[in-house]
Amino acid sequence: MKSRRELIMALGAIPVLAACGGEAAPPAKAEPTKAPAAAAPAAPAPTTAPAPTTAPAPTAVPAKVFKVGLVTDVGKVDDKSFNESAWNGAKAGAAAIKGESKYVETQNPNDYKKNIQQFISEKYDIIVTVGFLLGEATIEAAKANPTIKFIGVDQFQGAVVENLAGLIFEEDKAGFMVGALAALFSKSGKVGAVLATDVVPPVWRFGEGFRAGAKYAKATTDIQIVYHSTVGPEKTFSDPEWGKATALSMIDKGVDVVFGAGGNTGNGALYGVADRKDKGVVAIGVDTDQWNTVPEAKAVLLSSGMKIIDLGVSDIIKAASEGKFKGGNITGKVGLAPFHDLDSKVDAAIKTKLEDIRKQLDAGTLKTEVKPAKG
Amino acid sequence: MTRGRFLFVLGCIAGLVGIAEALRSPDVPAAVVAASMLATTLRFATPLTLGALAGLFCERSGVANIAIEGMMLAAAFGAFIVGALTKSLAAGIVAGMVVGALMALLHAWLSVTLRVDQIVSGTVINIMAAGVTGFLSTEVVRRQAISGAGLLPAWRVPGLSEVPVIGPLFQQQPIAWVTLALVVVAHLVLFRTAWGLRVRAVGELPRAAHAAGVSVARTRYAAVMVGGAIAGIGGGYFTLEAVPVFEPMMTNGRGFIALAALIFGGWTPAGAWVASLLFAAANALHINAQQFGIPVPAQVVGMFPYVLTIVILAGAIGRVTPPAAIGQPYVRD
Repeated sequence: MKSRRELIMALGAIPVLAACGGEAAPPAKAEPTKAPAAAAPAAPAPTTAPAPTTAPAPTAVPAKVFKVGLVTDVGKVDDKSFNESAWNGAKAGAAAIKGESKYVETQNPNDYKKNIQQFISEKYDIIVTVGFLLGEATIEAAKANPTIKFIGVDQFQGAVVENLAGLIFEEDKAGFMVGALAALFSKSGKVGAVLATDVVPPVWRFGEGFRAGAKYAKATTDIQIVYHSTVGPEKTFSDPEWGKATALSMIDKGVDVVFGAGGNTGNGALYGVADRKDKGVVAIGVDTDQWNTVPEAKAVLLSSGMKIIDLGVSDIIKAASEGKFKGGNITGKVGLAPFHDLDSKVDAAIKTKLEDIRKQLDAGTLKTEVKPAKG
Repeated sequence: MTRGRFLFVLGCIAGLVGIAEALRSPDVPAAVVAASMLATTLRFATPLTLGALAGLFCERSGVANIAIEGMMLAAAFGAFIVGALTKSLAAGIVAGMVVGALMALLHAWLSVTLRVDQIVSGTVINIMAAGVTGFLSTEVVRRQAISGAGLLPAWRVPGLSEVPVIGPLFQQQPIAWVTLALVVVAHLVLFRTAWGLRVRAVGELPRAAHAAGVSVARTRYAAVMVGGAIAGIGGGYFTLEAVPVFEPMMTNGRGFIALAALIFGGWTPAGAWVASLLFAAANALHINAQQFGIPVPAQVVGMFPYVLTIVILAGAIGRVTPPAAIGQPYVRD
């Protein structure tokens, strides 16, 4: 029967086509990476360097090139958000120690292990995995390969694995500062946050931190928080159309400051605000300074709640090259991005108040009271 | 779709708006909530309606189409890249339609000429679209730092778009308007023209159509490709009307919800449209309820289109009958 043969041909085409899936990118050219200028006094460097008794193999070749591999979460290395920031950190860290770096983009949550394994089998020295959802796969891989160092971005470590550093951020603090800024800046007294799914704890902490901060800064503020939780983790970060529609829905109801957080879904909210520029609404971005990364939203971008991921990742890579790698949780820095185009619109009183909040959060005299995860 | 079910669906949509009204915070006027719900609903319904109309032409001619998602995704990319390179939004739209039609040509070739199982053919197209667009956006768009051509400007209805509160409903972007027009056009073409009759004939009883002198293969090719071009407009919606960027997998399963809308709507343009509105309204309600601080279980909203479709397929709210020859390659003998 003719059709049977054709059917087999068609089926045979599937893996070939799927292999075009843009999975592994070729090694990044060793771009001359500008070390982050604002290299603040670095993330908590491990103070007690473990005595390098076992680390250097006796036969170590002097000119060994450090290889740094990065596995993204579902999402892309150019997501203008946390994958991109982590990749910048990996590139910067590798460049600083004259090593090389390469990434694999995850297309499907089922591929986490496979993608990590790819770097293990190519004998990489440091493997960076980006995102909460890769946590389990990373722990498993770290336990199975004690000679390789792992960096898990956004991965809280319950128990210390010696060769696995979890780079974590206090998203609730970043969200708190953003929320305070939004409430202080808003003329209508209504602020909103457009977020990816609340089952991912960092997203949840951003959202609830925003709520707490807005309330703290101005108790009467109407706070609208919307999570994109109707779809699973594989879709929640890549739905800019939804993010935009949600932001517009908020603006319809008088919201004049919109915080967007959650990969491209959050970026969609920024596009939505840019669409209503003439209404005087402003947006706040997330993770990185999105004034640099979403040019379409420059004119309406008030600030961004930043997790300084690139600095955190590159610092750990440098520490590892010096034999000072330390397992467990490492807390990176968070902060507000500059106001850029809108700087003149932000009153000095607001700036003073925000600085005060930042100091109090750092000192621990002000608490966000946000739980680590929902439920 | 029967008039009764049509009204039933409209009633459901009104009900969802009513729920939003009941949940609203007292300081937000009722009219604002209603207008906002409708605006969000129309927005979400646009790609669903286009996807459903794409499937409609294809399936009415007897070719099953689970590839709407892949056609829209490929077209979204084609529209973006051509728009970006030519800096012309119009060229982008045309490119989207061409890419959609070409994907449909592949589907027609596999399923009409080669008589491959139509579900397999659709699956091939979905996988290929995801792979090729993912690859190209990684290797070409990012590497060359290509930025988009911007967004289609809104078309305003003079007078009505100036009215407070409901004004925004009358300032939609072009593809949203085109979608509404296409619902009417699709109805007229399918049910009021000779070509539409031939499409339906080859989808119901190809042997009889063949005996009456209609080329089954040629009619199916044409219908599938018309559908593909409509899916192409749907793709353009994502990258030229919603956001000025292409993101891998950005259609985010809407092609499958569109298919559910097509089935729910009983393979008619108006039915598919109201079904799209209903599914969109459920999502709009989920957003609005959260804005008012009421947690609606997200899973319920996510399941909504599929559960309703199963209910309707089970015959609980009247029956729907698929085109009789759907999924069957036509073999002359």
